[in-house]
Amino acid sequence: MSLPIIILCLISAILAVTMLFAKSPITSALCLLGVLIMTAGVYGLIGEHMIATIQLVVYAGAIMVLFIFSIMLLNLSNSENDFKQKPKIFIFGLAIGLSVFAFIANSILTHFQNHSSDRQLGIFTPQVVSDLGGNSKVLSHALFSQFYVSFEVISLALLVAVVGAVVLAKRKID
Amino acid sequence: MESSLVFDLTMMMAKILVILAGTLGVVPIMVWFERRGAAWMQRRVGPNRVGPFGLLQPLADVIKFIFKETFIPKEANKFYYLMAPIIALIAPLCALAVIPFGSKAIINGQEVILQVAQMDTGVIFILAFAGLEVYPVILAGWASRNKYSVLGALRGSSQIVSYEISMGIALLSMLVVYGSFNPHDMVAWQQGSLGFLPRWGAFVNPIGALIFWISIFAETNRLPFDLAEGESEIVAGYHLEYGGMKFAAFFMAEYVAMIMASGLLATLFFGGYGLPPGMSELVNIISAHFGFGAAGMQNTKAAFEFISFATKIAVFMFLFVWIRWTLPRFRFDQLMDLGWKILFPLSIINLVVVTLGVYYFNS
Repeated sequence: MSLPIIILCLISAILAVTMLFAKSPITSALCLLGVLIMTAGVYGLIGEHMIATIQLVVYAGAIMVLFIFSIMLLNLSNSENDFKQKPKIFIFGLAIGLSVFAFIANSILTHFQNHSSDRQLGIFTPQVVSDLGGNSKVLSHALFSQFYVSFEVISLALLVAVVGAVVLAKRKID
Repeated sequence: MESSLVFDLTMMMAKILVILAGTLGVVPIMVWFERRGAAWMQRRVGPNRVGPFGLLQPLADVIKFIFKETFIPKEANKFYYLMAPIIALIAPLCALAVIPFGSKAIINGQEVILQVAQMDTGVIFILAFAGLEVYPVILAGWASRNKYSVLGALRGSSQIVSYEISMGIALLSMLVVYGSFNPHDMVAWQQGSLGFLPRWGAFVNPIGALIFWISIFAETNRLPFDLAEGESEIVAGYHLEYGGMKFAAFFMAEYVAMIMASGLLATLFFGGYGLPPGMSELVNIISAHFGFGAAGMQNTKAAFEFISFATKIAVFMFLFVWIRWTLPRFRFDQLMDLGWKILFPLSIINLVVVTLGVYYFNS
């Protein structure tokens, strides 16, 4: 790993811890935004520009705007007391979180660049992807040929969610 | 000649310097032009005391901004209050990294592509940073702890989020036409001709160009879409509590965003850095006259391409000023109606029509 990646990872880790322990909801939301942008930076530095850009467009540009917008609209800053951790639940949650983290870290450390494992690698090595004309081309080709049914089903699910949200909001206003 | 690290680094720094100096250097000229242009359109005199034609007025403004007291409101959230103008300036500057300002130059026998970051996502990267432009508005309004600022921030962010959708779909319709995210491919596509017109995106897909153009006015918070600022209603909106250089940062960010949006508009719909018809013969004549080789010819071409691109940006910047002093501000419900009930359905219908057209012409 190169130095810039390590710096980004460190900043991202610090922001993640701050997000957990921050008192005001807007600080938490902004720290999460920072984590997402730093992750996008890591993706960009390892050469995966497509994923980095999608991360910025979808998470930083759309989802977090919605979060912060609703925090501002509801003016949650008055309810800072709700965010105090209760020790017992906190320790329980910490234990679960740590065990999940240990499992993921173990599985990544075993399989990362370890081709002797029993998992089969896909056909898309970095060389193949760049020969086929870059990540965005390969990804969109796969999405609109091999996986077009699942792609359409997901868009249908999103449409259902939009209609549902409108119905719920409309009932409240009427 | 082999590509060396020093050469690459120097070229990268030079390109970044060109972009930074170009955009930040244009800002004072634009500020001057905005004020003189406003005066000209309203039959006033405008600033004419500092220097010839008031040209040094921006310099006087900057000196005033720098020597002002750095004042932070007592109730404000200091960290976010100070962070907002920084993000405001960084986001559009980052987006400029992907806009090419020429095809390529040959320096020292090596090809240098005149674009800071060559990525396979290209134009989508600009959308990513255009999406981040909401944050300074929200943050500034929220951190100032001022009613008018919060109102301005809410108006501004809902406006930017609403118009981003039609802007994205208009962009999508052009991506369908070009079949590529890469701005160089887009410019290459637009080199042909449609009868007597150049084959520019705006002539291929006029409705998409119109929607995109309207949306960038909303994205950059310019009149008639400046509800986030609305002087007559909410004093100055989200940057009400900012003074000195902090206000100047917001001010500069607005102009940098305008330059970025104009560059994007030029690249997508008006041939980008492509030379207008007849210019390539001029390049040939000049090269033949001075006896340039292949490298010199390419460099002359690159210089002309840069001039062509800068001229297109200048035209759009002029339109920004012209429209600002021509149209009155929208009411908020009119703004939302235009965004959601007119531009959004229109952009979707346009996307379907363009897709069918591309399918018909390609098969």
